[in-house]
Amino acid sequence: MINRDTVAVAIIWIVVTAVVEIAFSFADIFPAAASEEAVIVDDAFNFLTYIAIPVFTFVLVALIYSIVRFRTRSSAVDGAPEDGPHVRTNHRWVWGWMVVTSALVVTVIIHPGLTGLNEVDELAQGDDLELVVEVSGIQWAWTFTYPDQNITGSELVLPLDAHVRFDITAVDVLHSFWIPAFRTKIDAVPGLTTQIHANITELGDYDDDINFRVQCAELCGRDHGIMQSQVRVVEREEFNEWVLAQQ
Amino acid sequence: MTALKPLGQAVLFAIIGFLIGGGLSAALVEAAGRDEMKEPVIAGGYLFALIGWLFGIGVWGSWVREWFGASVKPFEAHGWKRYFGFSTDHKVIGVQYGATMVVILLLAGALAMLMRVELADAESNLLSNTDYNTVMGLHGIMMIAVAVAALMGGFANYVMPLMIGADDVAFPRLNALSYWIVPPVAVLLIITPLFGGFDTGWTAYPPLASQGATGNLLFLMAFTTFGLSSILGGLNFIATIITMRAPGMTWSRMPVFVWAVFAASLISLTATQFVAYALLMVIFERVFGMHFFDGTIGGDAILFEHVFWFYSHPAVYVMILPAFGIELEILSHFARKPVFAYKWVVRAFFSIVALSFVVWAHHLFTSGMSGELHGPFMVLTELISIPTGVVFLAAIGTIWRGRLWLKTPMLFAMGVIANFLIGGLTGLYLADVVTDLNFQDTYFVVAHFHYTIVGGEIFAMMAAIYYWYPKITGRMYNETLGRIHFIGMFALYNITFIPMFIVGAEGMNRRVASYPAEFENLNMFITVAALLLGVAFLPFVYNMVNSWIRGQRAGDNPWGARTLEWQTSSPPPEENFETPPVVLEDPYGYGDPEAQHFEFPPDSGHAPEPVGGDD
Repeated sequence: MINRDTVAVAIIWIVVTAVVEIAFSFADIFPAAASEEAVIVDDAFNFLTYIAIPVFTFVLVALIYSIVRFRTRSSAVDGAPEDGPHVRTNHRWVWGWMVVTSALVVTVIIHPGLTGLNEVDELAQGDDLELVVEVSGIQWAWTFTYPDQNITGSELVLPLDAHVRFDITAVDVLHSFWIPAFRTKIDAVPGLTTQIHANITELGDYDDDINFRVQCAELCGRDHGIMQSQVRVVEREEFNEWVLAQQ
Repeated sequence: MTALKPLGQAVLFAIIGFLIGGGLSAALVEAAGRDEMKEPVIAGGYLFALIGWLFGIGVWGSWVREWFGASVKPFEAHGWKRYFGFSTDHKVIGVQYGATMVVILLLAGALAMLMRVELADAESNLLSNTDYNTVMGLHGIMMIAVAVAALMGGFANYVMPLMIGADDVAFPRLNALSYWIVPPVAVLLIITPLFGGFDTGWTAYPPLASQGATGNLLFLMAFTTFGLSSILGGLNFIATIITMRAPGMTWSRMPVFVWAVFAASLISLTATQFVAYALLMVIFERVFGMHFFDGTIGGDAILFEHVFWFYSHPAVYVMILPAFGIELEILSHFARKPVFAYKWVVRAFFSIVALSFVVWAHHLFTSGMSGELHGPFMVLTELISIPTGVVFLAAIGTIWRGRLWLKTPMLFAMGVIANFLIGGLTGLYLADVVTDLNFQDTYFVVAHFHYTIVGGEIFAMMAAIYYWYPKITGRMYNETLGRIHFIGMFALYNITFIPMFIVGAEGMNRRVASYPAEFENLNMFITVAALLLGVAFLPFVYNMVNSWIRGQRAGDNPWGARTLEWQTSSPPPEENFETPPVVLEDPYGYGDPEAQHFEFPPDSGHAPEPVGGDD
């Protein structure tokens, strides 16, 4: 079981894994996270990636090593190479593999799986809810109603550091309410009200960052792609002024 | 022209059927006093046209006549003419399926090129938004058809009966029927743009699918019809594997590809019926004015999504299980080593089948379904990575310290390992609820499922094409062109699809003809790579056509492989084996000088009984 090839692959694997893990720790692939929910989502992504990298490098290193080390140069005229060793299985490897992969799966189920779900739920249930926005999708535009402020329009303006709940529905067909800067989305379903929460942490404006947009994310017909609305997250005073100006 | 007589008869019967069905529907609509005439007439006409087509192609002459006590007239033809009629030879049907699916693959690939040209810049300028949606939907459903039917209809049909030492499938006429259901599907799909196209993509979510142009109806009928073909194929393969195995071919001696076909057939037979219900209900909404899925008048749009994915998630395992089977088969024969951990692989296949039925709602994490379902479906989905991991262990264990013979089939089979590794691991982010809340409906999902279906299954299909080409045609393909095809396709495939993960993570959603200008650079890059990927298929097409005509004679067993399909002539005679083989042990005895998979017993005057359902 322990032979030169196994040791070589193990060493290469450890080195490559370390390099890739370190390289990933410097990577920055997401746009700015503008809500507490977004931070949970990005942390979950990062954790899953740290777990996935060793699996990825193990299979790839073993594959490439095998190609380099075990290939034959037999030509078509000569026919097939001689047989390799008659190894049908290896109980220690199989059971080792089962234990390790099962442990990894149980790990990601618990964290970030169930813990992530729980964190998002707790944020949603927090008693600091400040603002409710009713969202309605129709082919191919969004309407935003602020019931407590008596405002209806096509512009979504939100105050910084607020816990906002969106009550979402649709008039005609399925749509999906997604603000990439907040990371979460949920479908707008005719005849049903769905809910999503955002605990906003960053200022932002569509003109500077296109991830501050409401993007329809469920195919809804001809102009699905351009079913977008601009989002502005502003300071509280500015939000209050905006509310007064709209009323 | 006599060779095309069955086809001409089928077209004629289809037209007559359409007129009868359309006329009856029109009379019924008139009698019911309803206004909407167009779609009921098309639906009724199509139903009768389909029956007319099938009767004309040979179901009447070879089959139904005997129900009325008349003598049947089986289809008989030789050479290329065999492929244009109701042949019941599984090898002919396998080639019919395979060739049809390769043509559809290339057409749907051309549609993908068209989409990429539209996406080269941020604005929508080449196609109208409706045309873009139609092109995208057609690309989707045609590729789904290829993915479902190329390996099962094509290679399982051709190779599986040979591998188990049978002379055909259990129900040869049913097999021919399941193939001849496919051409009407292709016709319906191709004419959808003439009927206003369809805006729904291949997923056909109502209420959108219940509204809009008649192209939607054609698409729904095409998809439902294709499902019927898949159900009949699954039933046939299950019966074949249970009852037609050669003497001595016990369950534990079956090649892994046969196990994979058996497992995938269980899903085809059972799950496909659910998508047919779901699509029929949408057809009923359009044709009869019913309202199953409209939430504003008592229906439920999310219900459709549940039923749709109850099939459509297991369906991805109809695609990938035969691909795993082919991959492991080729790795074993080209590493000259037994399939590693064979019994664990079989266990893994059936664990995947069982789990595949209880993970569908991970497609609905953002649908608005009850939040209580999120946790259970996340857990069940992530569990499926354990049996999938076993397949990777088997793949690496098989090539480890073998004698790797790097022919084109082996290159593609190893490409499956690398690509599916990325496809499988990126699935983790879509199984996890919170990361999926962000990634759902973005290009991350597009990249992920292309990695599993193209990187996994289509690469395995290419491996299968090169591997069994000498068996099917009797001639050898050109090895240099095969390698060029592999290198070009592998490199450009990865260069095309890796950036889609990035652009998805950066916030670009899918199924759009235009997008924010910030994503323009990456999209231009993807478009150029995708067009070059299209060019990489040219050596493949040239190689296949040219080698079939001019290739060197391959001999019966150019790979020195041990499974039974290689122990008969290339191509095999109509009855498959001149002497029926008797199986002595499994086909993976590489490295064991005593090993012997089969023998051809000296003719004792009568063939031994098949092993049937014992053991």
